[in-house]
Amino acid sequence: MAGAFGFKGCQKIRGPQIRSLLEAKDFFLFDCDGVIWHGENAITGAAKVVNALIRHGKNVVFVTNNSTRPRENYVHKFSRLGFTDVMLEQIFSSSYCSALYLRDVVKVCGQVFVIGCEGLRTELQEAGIPCLEETDDPDATIYDCALAPDVKAVLVGHDDKLTFLKLAKASCYLKDPDCLFLATDNDPWHPLSSGRILPGSGSLTAALEVASGRKATVIGKPSRFMFECISSQFRGVDPAQCLMVGDRLETDMLFGSNCGLDTMLTLTGVSQIEEAEEYRNSDLSTNHSLVPDYVVDTIADFLPAFEELEEESN
Amino acid sequence: MSGSKCARLQGARLQQLLDSVDSILFDCDGVIWRGDQAVPGAPQVINLLKRHGKRVFFVTNNSTKTRRMYADKMSTLGFDVTEQEVFGTAFCCAAFLQTACGLRGQKVFLMGSQAMRQELEAVGIRQTGVGPDHVSGGPGDWANVPLDPEVKAVVVGFDQDFSYMKLNRAVQYLIQKDCLFVGTNRDTRLPLEGGRAVPGTGCLLQAVETAAQRQAQTVGKPSPFMFECLASQFGVERERCLMVGDRLDTDILLGSNCGLKTLLTLTGVSTLEDVEGHEKSGCEERRKMVPDFYVESIADLLPALQG
Repeated sequence: MAGAFGFKGCQKIRGPQIRSLLEAKDFFLFDCDGVIWHGENAITGAAKVVNALIRHGKNVVFVTNNSTRPRENYVHKFSRLGFTDVMLEQIFSSSYCSALYLRDVVKVCGQVFVIGCEGLRTELQEAGIPCLEETDDPDATIYDCALAPDVKAVLVGHDDKLTFLKLAKASCYLKDPDCLFLATDNDPWHPLSSGRILPGSGSLTAALEVASGRKATVIGKPSRFMFECISSQFRGVDPAQCLMVGDRLETDMLFGSNCGLDTMLTLTGVSQIEEAEEYRNSDLSTNHSLVPDYVVDTIADFLPAFEELEEESN
Repeated sequence: MSGSKCARLQGARLQQLLDSVDSILFDCDGVIWRGDQAVPGAPQVINLLKRHGKRVFFVTNNSTKTRRMYADKMSTLGFDVTEQEVFGTAFCCAAFLQTACGLRGQKVFLMGSQAMRQELEAVGIRQTGVGPDHVSGGPGDWANVPLDPEVKAVVVGFDQDFSYMKLNRAVQYLIQKDCLFVGTNRDTRLPLEGGRAVPGTGCLLQAVETAAQRQAQTVGKPSPFMFECLASQFGVERERCLMVGDRLDTDILLGSNCGLKTLLTLTGVSTLEDVEGHEKSGCEERRKMVPDFYVESIADLLPALQG
């Protein structure tokens, strides 16, 4: 069903409307940061919601642009924060999906120059993708450093060890039009639980786009690719059965729109309802894709619907 | 090329142009030198122009040298130049912060070269941030880096010590709305011999602007500030001024924006195909990047100067 109030209602829903939604959908996609947890703290009630969805036989997957950890780390984190039964196969990170893209779509035959953390490299290595090793001596400069001969792709993700030399090497590799230019995601900044922000991979990708004069292919939300990975793993997923729950209009809601999914904005993260309303009132029709179908204050708002369902079955 | 614009400069036309100007502004990289080598004939051109009574200035977006360093490099290569004739973005950025931003005696966060630091200090502006900045700790620490309360502006120039940590620091300062944001220039890359390219200041600036969700004011070409800096000091008349450069989107656009005559030399970045593209585009902003004249190299000016 399209949004309960017609096209892109952007309306807060509670109680009975949430219950109808829970009954109508059988595939729930959750963003993590700002939706399920803030850093090391689960959002109050989030674990109960996820556990209840799984107990009621719903498919639950987690779709995150965060490329810094391998999926195993997420499994441990879920467990640590009280989410029972979340398995590796339910986790779709931009680093895992970047590895899948290189292995299955590009079928890359040659090395990949990676600007990113250990988490990204681990996913690539597990998928059998050869990554260039960092072997520069500390005094190397772009004028005299070694450049590898068979680099078939440059992949940019979050990299707290980014240096000028890495940027320079990447732009040299990108001069070859046959060398692919991929980015895990375009998020320009990330919020921390303290209210501060940190530069995101989007800012590093933007620097490299300016240096190379080329546009990166973005793997993460709002691009459709991560949904294709999910659909492929679950042997076909009907978008009409899905609900995408996220906190960032420009990534999560747009991702949902791009894939034909119903979307729900939760207000525990980045975007405010006023921003959603601005997009809805915008003259630019492309902005309407960023407007959520539904809004909740927190995903804990699902809990009363489950309590009702459980009472009825007793 | 056909049409009245972008005519090849030679013969009578060359003589007429030289007679019609008193001041000539030269870009440096790709015009008078490439790396550490003078463009053949360039020193003779500059020196002869001066002997013919023309005033000669140098206007460069490259922020890695002070005017003093430029003058020294020029002397080594045989150019007869004084430092007052050189307008680099390190010098002009310091001037901008001092005059347009009123920052004399204040402090800035600098993502840039030692040359920028020196030019800032020369006008009494202190800085923090120059040099290597390696990451330590984790995300919680980065967002809480101690901020110097005296910093009034974030200043971005070419910086080979660019790192995630520096980018992070710049963003933390810029979140404060009253912190100013100034960049030297937006050049995307510095071409090197042998097919390598070095990312330019434009890339670093883009990274900071994207993460901080704010736009910097820029000092360098094509912004008119550097010309105005020069003109206010030397009283040049725009109509009797020629801008010589190798980049359409910086040098020629600056010339157009300031009402100067413009000459493209083909020893650097832009090509005649690029010119044609702009000419045929039908877009007014792009047509400002079509030069009045072109030469293969500035050595083509010699016949009019040696006779």
